[in-house]
Amino acid sequence: MIDKWDFSKGNRARLLFMIFNYFLMVVIIALMLIPLLKVLSDSLDNTAFYGMGLIPREFSVAAYERIIKSASLYRPFLISVFVTVVGTLIAMSVTTTGAYVMSQRGLPGRKYFTWMILIAMLFQAGMIPAYMNIKMLGLLNTLWAVIIPMSLRNYNLILMRNFFMDIPVSLTEAAEIDGATPFQIFYRVVLPMSKPALATIGLFCLVEYWNDYFHFVIYINDRNLYNFQAKLREMVLQDDYGSSSVVVYGRSLQNATIIAAMIPVLIIYPFLQKYFVKGINLGAIKG
Amino acid sequence: MATVLKVGLQKVTQSRLFVRLNKYKMFYVMFIPALLFYICFEYMPLWGLRMAFYEWGLFGPKYFKGFDNFVELLSSKLFLVSFVNTIIISGYNLIYGMLAAITFALLLNEIPNGVFKKFTQTIVYLPHFLSWVVVASIFAMLLSPDSGIVNEIIKHFGGKPIYFFISTRWWRTIFVLINLWKGTGWAAIIYLAALAGVDPQLYEAAAIDGAGRLRQTWHITLPAIQSTILVVFILNLAKILNIFHPVFLMYNPQVYPVADVIDTYTYRLGFTSASDVDLATAVGLFKSVICLILVVITNHLSKKIKGEKIL
Repeated sequence: MIDKWDFSKGNRARLLFMIFNYFLMVVIIALMLIPLLKVLSDSLDNTAFYGMGLIPREFSVAAYERIIKSASLYRPFLISVFVTVVGTLIAMSVTTTGAYVMSQRGLPGRKYFTWMILIAMLFQAGMIPAYMNIKMLGLLNTLWAVIIPMSLRNYNLILMRNFFMDIPVSLTEAAEIDGATPFQIFYRVVLPMSKPALATIGLFCLVEYWNDYFHFVIYINDRNLYNFQAKLREMVLQDDYGSSSVVVYGRSLQNATIIAAMIPVLIIYPFLQKYFVKGINLGAIKG
Repeated sequence: MATVLKVGLQKVTQSRLFVRLNKYKMFYVMFIPALLFYICFEYMPLWGLRMAFYEWGLFGPKYFKGFDNFVELLSSKLFLVSFVNTIIISGYNLIYGMLAAITFALLLNEIPNGVFKKFTQTIVYLPHFLSWVVVASIFAMLLSPDSGIVNEIIKHFGGKPIYFFISTRWWRTIFVLINLWKGTGWAAIIYLAALAGVDPQLYEAAAIDGAGRLRQTWHITLPAIQSTILVVFILNLAKILNIFHPVFLMYNPQVYPVADVIDTYTYRLGFTSASDVDLATAVGLFKSVICLILVVITNHLSKKIKGEKIL
């Protein structure tokens, strides 16, 4: 066995490379973290001028207090929470039941269901027909216009179906012999066995619903129904670009809002990290 | 005799189908939500595509005009600019994104497994999960001409502040860099997985033959992830026209000539005061058809290269 970490044999070039490599990784970590730390620091800084430092000059949590106290800011946050929780629940129900049916090898007509999904994956109608459709369904300016269209993702459906197909048939057959109905089997046998896949897809759903702003921009005109991302966009992006240097919202408040929009993602990130590599492998095997 | 047998056989198969349908009836009930979803949100919008062939008023179709909208968009300078921009911006993202991800994966692969490697991975994967609104906002703050850290540094060294987001010279560079910041770590995962699958015995054999690390990388590591690189390239190529969110959040009228892409152009045509819904639908349809062709081509390419289809 040749030890590639053995530098004793005068392997100078290798040693130099390793030093360079570690140094480069530290630089990369710094490049990833500095933008986040700068925003965090500025959100806690009471002075209007931040400069180059990464430590607040005049520490204050006033900006965060304002988010908690001002209805125009905490309301979008609560809407985000609502959409995320309800959306994920609906998404999980529709995706798992659909995928379970798709995983039945002997199901007559299964081929057509697969085609139905494939065609939907290959050809999209586009932004305007989708908008007209939502309008026709009477969902415009309701949170359902955000929740429902995002609930079923082709990719999640296929991922989940592949997972269900790997569950040994003997297990479900045993339950069938015991007289369990398909729904009972699904609920009592299949779902409890699929916890890793459910966690992967559930976590991805949470992030997607939390991060969505696009559906709000297109389907929702009523600003009282904006979620936190849409509010953030209004506060920072629409305010900042362009020639006008009029800043309606204070800098610290803008920074604090960015941090607040990140917090839920940061909270579930450790769980996500545990599952996403698995999820990718799940998809890669049978894509 | 033969007909009797045939009829009998038909009856048997029919009743078998009936038995099977009966056996699976609960599954069809379970599929109703998904089915309704596909009908309502994937298939019904297709009916709206007819707008592309009409003059469309506020309350519906005014008159049929065939392919006039497509003629109009192909001769429209704004559309052509957005089309070229889409290819250029997506092309930069694709090439630089892949180069960065592969390089990063190769270098990270040289770091021994342990706390440092784990920590690096944790940090670089994180931005993938932040929304584009958050990422665009972060960089809007950092690159702001009046108090952003980047311009503070420039001023510190005696330079003049640069208006990054409204400068046609800087916009694409900044845009690609922000995409790299957000996506490189995530894109590297698939290469890291492929690298983890390389048989260590190959390296040992090569080392015994006197090959240095660099030659090992060139002759063992790169060939090992070659097919992964190709598949990623093909998949990315298939969605080269799908770029909307980051551009939409970071562009502005000053940089339309370098930043406007097909989807943002469609959005403005459809949803702003200068709206022309039938033309916007035509642009969307045009894009969808090209995307479909790209997917079919890349699927065939993948079959040729890897012997298996993506779809």
